Amino acid sequence: MTNDAFFALGAALAIGLATFGPGIGQGLAAGRAFEAIARQPEATGDIRTLLILALAFMEALCIFGLLIAFLLFGKIS
Amino acid sequence: MSQTMMVLASAHGGPLFSIGGLEVSSITTTTWGIMALLVLVCFLATRDLQIVPVRKSQIALELAVDTLITFLGSIMGGEEKAKKFFPLLGSLFFIILISNYSGLLPGFGHTPGLQAPTSALSFTAALALVVFFTTHIQGVKSKGLAYFKHFVSPHWAMLPMNLMEELVKPLSLALRLYGNIFGEETLVASIFAMAPLFVPLPFMFLGVFFGFIQALVFTLLTATYLASATAGEH
Repeated sequence: MTNDAFFALGAALAIGLATFGPGIGQGLAAGRAFEAIARQPEATGDIRTLLILALAFMEALCIFGLLIAFLLFGKIS
Repeated sequence: MSQTMMVLASAHGGPLFSIGGLEVSSITTTTWGIMALLVLVCFLATRDLQIVPVRKSQIALELAVDTLITFLGSIMGGEEKAKKFFPLLGSLFFIILISNYSGLLPGFGHTPGLQAPTSALSFTAALALVVFFTTHIQGVKSKGLAYFKHFVSPHWAMLPMNLMEELVKPLSLALRLYGNIFGEETLVASIFAMAPLFVPLPFMFLGVFFGFIQALVFTLLTATYLASATAGEH
């Protein structure tokens, strides 16, 4: 296989596999947040803030994979 | 698709002109524009301040600043801390917010001289460096040299991991912001290259939403790092 093929394959795998972990993690975090809000609606503000913060942390991991995909994609001549 | 990437690459990297040997690129000129806009808005809103505000601009600015201070105060455990660091936190929030939204305006990205500053790693890395030095200097200021004890607590073998964590924090701040904004810009550009009418709209709505979230998260994380670095009692 040519170099370009490896770059393309690497880019696709980078972003494809990077979405697994954050997807599961964000789903779990959101589910627990929904439960917590249902149990105690007066804490909605705090829970919402912490949920957004936690989602951003996990999103960053997926974005790192996307950046690697862009880098590899840019190397295809 | 590669046409789009080439357009983005030329708008990103190429310097426009040089001032005294330093190359000035599109993100620098856009940053100047955003700085001028912020200074102008704040100057116009703070002329002739009154205890009971009557002008709408003063009311709006007070509302924005007050909401942000209350929100950050709930994170940092006290409003005095939020007020003490508000020059940094407020500036970070507003410049990142306006930079993220400037990428959605027509002409940004492919016009020389106009490019969203946060879509370049150099800008976000500069912001992350500011945050890095501020947290450590403020930590030393508030706790003296005992601040460095937290690197070897709870055990001196944790030193490499603590050092790694301290280095990863600004790196992740910079990369998170850069990746989100650059990724959204590239996504909209490639969708635009495929179907230019109305189809990029949902992605641009996502861009609006995520632009605000990323500005908030950057400021929130800076506030958290500052609060934990200057925490009085452990």
